[in-house]
Amino acid sequence: MSISTPGGPERRPTVVTTGKKPAAGRPTPGAKAGDGKSTGAGPRPAAGGKGKGPRKPIAPVKVSQGRSWGPIALFVAVGVLAASIIGYGAWAAFQGSKPWEKRAAGIDGVVDYREKEPELVKGGNHQQGAVKYTVTPPVAGPHNAAWQNCMGDVYDAPIANEHAVHSLEHGTVWIAYRPDLPADQVTKLKSKVQGQEKMMLSPYEGLDKPISLQAWGYQLKVDNADDSRIDEFIKTLRVNASVEGPTALCSGGITATGTTPRDGNQMPTQ
Amino acid sequence: MTAPTTTDRDLTEGPVTDDGGRPAARRFGVLVVAAAVVVGLLLGYAGGLLTPKLTRPGDASAEAGFARDMTSHHAQAVAMGLIAFQRGTDPEVVSIGGDIATGQQGEIGTMQTWLRSWGLDPSGSQPRMAWMPDGEDTVRDGLMPGMATPEELAKLRAAQGRELDVLFLELMIRHHIGGIHMIDGVLDVSDQPDVVRTARTMKNTQQTDLTNLRAALDRLKG
Repeated sequence: MSISTPGGPERRPTVVTTGKKPAAGRPTPGAKAGDGKSTGAGPRPAAGGKGKGPRKPIAPVKVSQGRSWGPIALFVAVGVLAASIIGYGAWAAFQGSKPWEKRAAGIDGVVDYREKEPELVKGGNHQQGAVKYTVTPPVAGPHNAAWQNCMGDVYDAPIANEHAVHSLEHGTVWIAYRPDLPADQVTKLKSKVQGQEKMMLSPYEGLDKPISLQAWGYQLKVDNADDSRIDEFIKTLRVNASVEGPTALCSGGITATGTTPRDGNQMPTQ
Repeated sequence: MTAPTTTDRDLTEGPVTDDGGRPAARRFGVLVVAAAVVVGLLLGYAGGLLTPKLTRPGDASAEAGFARDMTSHHAQAVAMGLIAFQRGTDPEVVSIGGDIATGQQGEIGTMQTWLRSWGLDPSGSQPRMAWMPDGEDTVRDGLMPGMATPEELAKLRAAQGRELDVLFLELMIRHHIGGIHMIDGVLDVSDQPDVVRTARTMKNTQQTDLTNLRAALDRLKG
């Protein structure tokens, strides 16, 4: 205290008289002290002054630091540019791999029963005998314990809803067509199904449109086998729409046609 | 009273403000370095996020084609293997059937996991076998090399006893030969570590199977 007291006054005059340069740092706290008025509060602002100090002594600081502003600005600019380029690339890449749910919603005319009837789509209890479905052809709900064989099977006669729905649960896309669909269009549909597991094709009586595609919880009805949405529906929803994952079986199912569900010993004999 | 306080303040502030310029410069320098580090980290993070996206197999890659088509190929082997396991008569046919069905079903899971981790759908946009040179020519009615026709599968389902055993062995031998052809196709073009490792394992397994399947067929026919 005693030693520093003399030093204090000595410095102070220099500050005031010598002018701004060396004093630059000093008038700031002085001014602050004046602002603060209460001397008791003075010492504390001194600590705060550390933060504020650098602002005022612009004159000396500016001279030494001014030089590096150019490179800094350049560096920041390049950094921001690089970050935005890479950021855009990453964003674009992520956009390219949008989740299948979003892509499914983007298919024109697709009906999403996961949204419309979440209870129906939750999963399927096994049920013997005929099951009443509100959606035609059905897209989800309770179903027979046996699934319709869906190893790229092409059925030439209608199949049972109760087995077909089980196949949907396993990730199958079931293409149903009105029996009056021209043969050349049926052939086109056939080529999309043959040899492809988790696909099956069958005629369906009483369809309101010539072709109806079903996946678990999704339906799309189209007029023509050339409609590009058919491939889009298959790519987006085959296996993806399954609530049981990609290893659910399609073999070992019912290979017979007929709209009456088969209970009992149909499965064990393969 | 006032004098001591002011000097006191001068004292405390003196050193601070005196060095004010240099710490400020230092602080500024630290800020720049911190900013540089942050930008560097961000760039590294973005690069790290992007690189695997750019380097992993794409939708039309041979790896994705192999994963999809081999899944279909395997699915039929699982179907035939389960028939042999459930209804075969010869003990070796029963055990080989179960072994092939479970083994290939497991490999389907592996391949489907690749597709998912590559951000790809289980279904491709390319024709079957398009990933292999001249591969499309080998497809008949959607069936890839070695696959049984729907008629042959119906026959296998309807068969009984020794007839079933023999038919299974014949169909599975042909199926494996076709499968190895496809495995060789992906080994020729891919250096993706997971794919290469799994494909080699598949080939080893199927070659060993072939020896045993052929020996069993000779035994049953002989």
